Amino acid sequence: MIRKFTKSALLLLLLALAEIATAQDGAAILEKVDANMSSDNRIFESSMTIHTKRGSRTITSKSWSEGNNKSFTEYLSPAAEKGTKMLKLEKQLWIYSPSTDRTIQLSGHMLRQSVMGSDLSYEDMMDDRKLNEIYSSEIKGQEKIGDRNTFVLLLTAKVEDAAYYTQKIWVDAERFVPLKQELYAKSGKLLKRMEMSNVIQVQGRWFPATVIYKDMLKQGDGTEFKITSIKFNQTIPPHLFTKASLKQ
Amino acid sequence: MIKFLIKGLLRDKSRSRLPIMVVAIGVTLTVFMHAYITGFMGDTIEMNARFTTGHAKVMTRAYAEDASLLPNDLALMQIEELLDSLRSLYPDMSWSPRIQFGGLIDVPDSAGETRSQGTAIGWGLELIANQDELNRLDLQKALRSGHLPRKSGDALLSNSFAGKLGIAPGDEFTLISSTMNGGMAMYNFRLSGTVHFGVEIMDRGSIIADLKDVQLALEMENAAGEITGFSNTGFYDNNQAEKLSDSFNSKFKTDDEFSPVMLSLSQQGNMGQYVQMSEVWSAYVSLIFIFAMSLVLWNAGLLGGLRRYGEVGIRLAMGESKGHVYRSMIAESVFIGIAGSVTGTAAGLGFAWLLQTYGLDISGMMQGASLMMPTIIKARITPTDFYIGFFPGVISTVIGTLLSGIGIYRRQTAKLFKELEA
Amino acid sequence: MKIALKLAWRNLTGAGLRTWLNVLVLSFSFVVIIWLKGIMTGWDHQAKTDMTQWEIGGGQYWHESYDPYDPFTLAGSHAKLPSQLENAMKAGDLTGLLLTQGAIFPEGRMMSVVIKGLDPGQSILKLPSRKLGTTASAIPAIIGNMMAKHSKLKAGDYVTLRWRNANGTFDATDVLITDIFSSNVPAVDAGQIYIPLATLQEVMLLPDEISLIVLRDKTDGWNEIPGWKYKSKAELTKQVDEMIKTKSAGQTVLYFILLLLAMLAIFDTQVLSIFRRQKEIGTYVALGYTKQQVVGLFTVEGSMHAVLAALLSAAYGLPFLAWQAKAGWTMPVDTSEFGMAIAQTLYPVYSAGLVIGTVLTVTITTAIVSYLPARKIARMNPTDALRGKLQ
Repeated sequence: MIRKFTKSALLLLLLALAEIATAQDGAAILEKVDANMSSDNRIFESSMTIHTKRGSRTITSKSWSEGNNKSFTEYLSPAAEKGTKMLKLEKQLWIYSPSTDRTIQLSGHMLRQSVMGSDLSYEDMMDDRKLNEIYSSEIKGQEKIGDRNTFVLLLTAKVEDAAYYTQKIWVDAERFVPLKQELYAKSGKLLKRMEMSNVIQVQGRWFPATVIYKDMLKQGDGTEFKITSIKFNQTIPPHLFTKASLKQ
Repeated sequence: MIKFLIKGLLRDKSRSRLPIMVVAIGVTLTVFMHAYITGFMGDTIEMNARFTTGHAKVMTRAYAEDASLLPNDLALMQIEELLDSLRSLYPDMSWSPRIQFGGLIDVPDSAGETRSQGTAIGWGLELIANQDELNRLDLQKALRSGHLPRKSGDALLSNSFAGKLGIAPGDEFTLISSTMNGGMAMYNFRLSGTVHFGVEIMDRGSIIADLKDVQLALEMENAAGEITGFSNTGFYDNNQAEKLSDSFNSKFKTDDEFSPVMLSLSQQGNMGQYVQMSEVWSAYVSLIFIFAMSLVLWNAGLLGGLRRYGEVGIRLAMGESKGHVYRSMIAESVFIGIAGSVTGTAAGLGFAWLLQTYGLDISGMMQGASLMMPTIIKARITPTDFYIGFFPGVISTVIGTLLSGIGIYRRQTAKLFKELEA
Repeated sequence: MKIALKLAWRNLTGAGLRTWLNVLVLSFSFVVIIWLKGIMTGWDHQAKTDMTQWEIGGGQYWHESYDPYDPFTLAGSHAKLPSQLENAMKAGDLTGLLLTQGAIFPEGRMMSVVIKGLDPGQSILKLPSRKLGTTASAIPAIIGNMMAKHSKLKAGDYVTLRWRNANGTFDATDVLITDIFSSNVPAVDAGQIYIPLATLQEVMLLPDEISLIVLRDKTDGWNEIPGWKYKSKAELTKQVDEMIKTKSAGQTVLYFILLLLAMLAIFDTQVLSIFRRQKEIGTYVALGYTKQQVVGLFTVEGSMHAVLAALLSAAYGLPFLAWQAKAGWTMPVDTSEFGMAIAQTLYPVYSAGLVIGTVLTVTITTAIVSYLPARKIARMNPTDALRGKLQ
C-alpha cells in the first residue's frame, strides 16, 4: 500500500518535473529559434509575391536592419515602387517616395493597413520583438513536416500588446528554424498561417528563405515572401537609420 | 358644315374667346403641374444620379458586387476602348469615367515632413478635359475659396477638411493611397480650391481631382472604377435606362468577373424603390389634378351653354331643329376643347420649360439646411405632358356641353319669343 | 347681411349642378391639401418617433472623441459611465453602448462593421436586445434587415467576427445571428452588428466602458458632463426637419396650382353671373342698393362656394381623413431600403391649425376671386343694366 502510494507520488512528482522541464525546454527552443532568426544586424534582398484576383505581382526590396528596432528598406522593383524607402525606428515608421519627394510618417490606424496589398500589415512587419519577449512557450509534442522532425510549441502572450494572443509554431528539431507558424485570436480562432520552406544555411545560421503568409479568414492565395540573399553581422553605416537617408 | 362652325366660332368672340381661355388656362395648369411633379419627385433621383449612380453606370461585375468598398483593384481596364464603343452605341448618353478611392492626405512642413494628416474619400473626375462633370456636380457653386482645377496636379478639398489640415489654396499636399495593384500610391497635389456641398459625409474629408491625375496616382492608366452615363435630356427615364442596360449587358457581359456590366440607376442600391415610389406619387397627384380639372372644365362647359342661351333661343325661333342646334353646339365644343387644349398645352409646356431651365429657388425657405437637399426645384417635361391636358380639356368640355345642351330640348317654342322680348 | 346670405344661398342652389361642381372642386382642394400636409406632418412624426425609438432615445451623450462619420475614432472613444448618471442608469433611464470597429467574414469576404455592445436588458431602444440574452454556445448577435441582405446572413447563421481589443490584440470568434430586426432607421442597421454589452466590454478588455449613452427622456440640468458631449433630440433629428422642409416647400406649389384651378372655376362662374344677371343688378340699384352693396352681394355669393365646400368637405372629408389617420397610407412600394427613416405606412397627422388655416386660406382666396369680377358692377350704368343692354 505504502509502496503503491510512493510509486504514484513519485509518478506525480515526475510528471510535475516533466511539466517544468517541457516549459523550460519550450523557452530554450524558442531561444534557439530567436538566436537563429534575429541577429545584431543583417542585410537581405527579398521578393514578395502577392496574389490578387487579377493575377499576381512581385515586389523586390533590399533591407538593412540592426537589432529589432531599426530597419531600412528600399524597394527595387517593379518600376512603380522603385526607390520607395521605408525607415523604422522604434515604434515609428516613415515612408519616402521619390516621385513625390515626400517623407511621410505613418501612425495609428494607418499602420494597420496592408503593405503593398499583401496579407501583412505595417504593424505585422514592424513588430520585430523576439518571440521569447512576447510569449511564454510550452512544448506540445513532436510532428513531422515533410521529412523534418519538429517540436510543436504553443506560445502564449505574456505581454499585453501582442497582436496575436497565442501562436503555434513548428520548429525544426535539428536546425531550430520554424517551419510552420499559426497565429490565433484570443478566442482560439486561427487567423493567419505561415509556412516556411527552402531552409538555407547562411554564415552558420539556418534560415527559411521562403515564407507563405495566408489570412485564414479571407479567401485568397496569400502572400509569398522569398529571401534571395541574406548576410548577417555586416557593418551598416549608422546614418542609414536616419530620416536624411530616405531622400538619398 | 365644320367650316361653317369654325367660322362662326372665329367671328363671334363671345362664343369662343372666354371658353377657350378657360380651357386653355385649365390645361396649362394641368400640364405645368404634371411637369412640375415629375421634376419635383425626380429631383432626389437626379441628385443621386449626379453624385453616385449616374443614370446608368458601367463597372466590372466584381466591382459592382462590392461597390461600396471602392475596390479599385477590380476596376475597368481599357476604358478608352470601352468609352469609344459606349459613345458610338449610345450617342444619346454622355459617358464620364470616374474613380472613387480612399486615402490619406498628408500636409508637409517646410522640410517636406508630415505636418498634418487626415483620412479622405476621393473622387477622380474629368474636370479639365470637359465641363460636363463640373456642371453636373455644380462645383462652381460649391467652391468656397480658390479656383476649380485648371491644370494637372490641381485638386479640391472639402472646406472644413482643408481648415483642419491647416492648408490654403496654393499649398501642396500628398495623397497616400493604394494603387490598382495594391501597391503604395503617393502623389503630390496642389490645393486649387476648397468646396462645401452641405452634406456631412462629403464635407468632412473629400478630395476631388482630375481623373488623369488620379489615374497616374493610382496606376490606373486607361482604367477607372466606373463609367457613369447621363442621358443628354438631363433627366432619368427608367424605361430607357433599363433598356439601355439590357442592351449593353447582352453585348458585353460574359462569365468573366471582370467583364463590364451596366446597371441602370434603379438597379443600384435602393434607388429602384425610390424610382418606383416617385412614379406612384406622380401618378397619384396627376390623377387628383386631372379629376379636379375635369370638374372645372365640365363646369366651364355648362357655363358656356348658358352663355349662349339667347342665341339658341333665336336659332330655335328661326326654325332650326333642336337636334341640329344640339349637335352643332357639341361639334363646336369639340373645337373649343381642342383649341383650348392646344393653346393650354403650349402655354403649360412653356411655363414648364421655364421652370425646367431656370428652376424655382426655394433656398430662402430652406435656410440653415445642411443636407444635400435640392434647393432649386425644377420641372421636367416628359412626353406625357404633350397629351395629358387633352383628356380634361376636350372630354370635360364636351361633357359639360352635352349636359347643358339637354336644356335645349326642354325649351318650348311658344315661350321663346316671350324670352326674347325681355 | 342676412338678406345677402339668403339671396346668395337661393342663387347658388338655383344654379344646381354648376354650383355643386364648383363646391366639389373647392372641397376637393380642402381635403387634398389637408391630407397631403397631414401626410408630411405624419412622416415627420414617424421619422422622429422611429429615430427616438430605435436610435437616439430622448437624447444622447457622446464620448468627446466619438465621431459617427469616422470609424477610426472609435478606438479612442470610450470611458466609464460618468458618476452623475449612475443613479439614472440604475433607474433604467439610460443605457450605454460600446462601439468598436471590426470585420465579419461571410463566405470569406471581408466586410467592415461597427460592433455595438448593447445591454440585453435595456428597454429604451426598440432593438430586440433580449435576443442577445439567449445563452448559446456562441456569442449571440443581432443585425438589421439591410445588413442581413448585404452580408447574405440569416437568423441561425454563424459568422466570423474579428476585432482588436484595447491592447491591439486580434480576437475573432464565430457569432450566432439570433435575430434579424427590421427598422426604418438605416443608422441602426447598415454596417452594424450588435452583441451583448458585457461580452464586448470583456473581450475588448474595457470593463464598464461605453462610447455613448442613450437617455430615455429629455433631461435638463445634465447637459454639462466633462468628457461627454450632449446631443439633444432636436439636434439629432435635424436632418428629418430639413428633409420635411424641402418636401413641404415643393408641395406648396402643388397647393397653389390646385387652388388656382378651383379659382378658375369660381372666376368663370362669377363672370357669367354678372353678365347674365344685369337686370337683377339694375333692379337692386333701382331698389336703393348702393353699387358697393351689390358688389358685396355678389362677393358673398361667390364666397359662399367656399363655405359650402367646407361643409361638403366635412361630410366626406372628415371620415376619409379620420380613416386615413387610423389606417394610415401604405406606400405601394417597399421602403425598407431608403436611405432615410421612412415607414411603409405613413399615418397623417392633422392639427387644428392646419385645418383652420387651410379653410381660411381657401375661403379668403375665394372671396377675393369673387370680388374681382364683381367690381365691374360698380362701373355699370344702372339704367342700361336694368334693360340688359350691357355686353
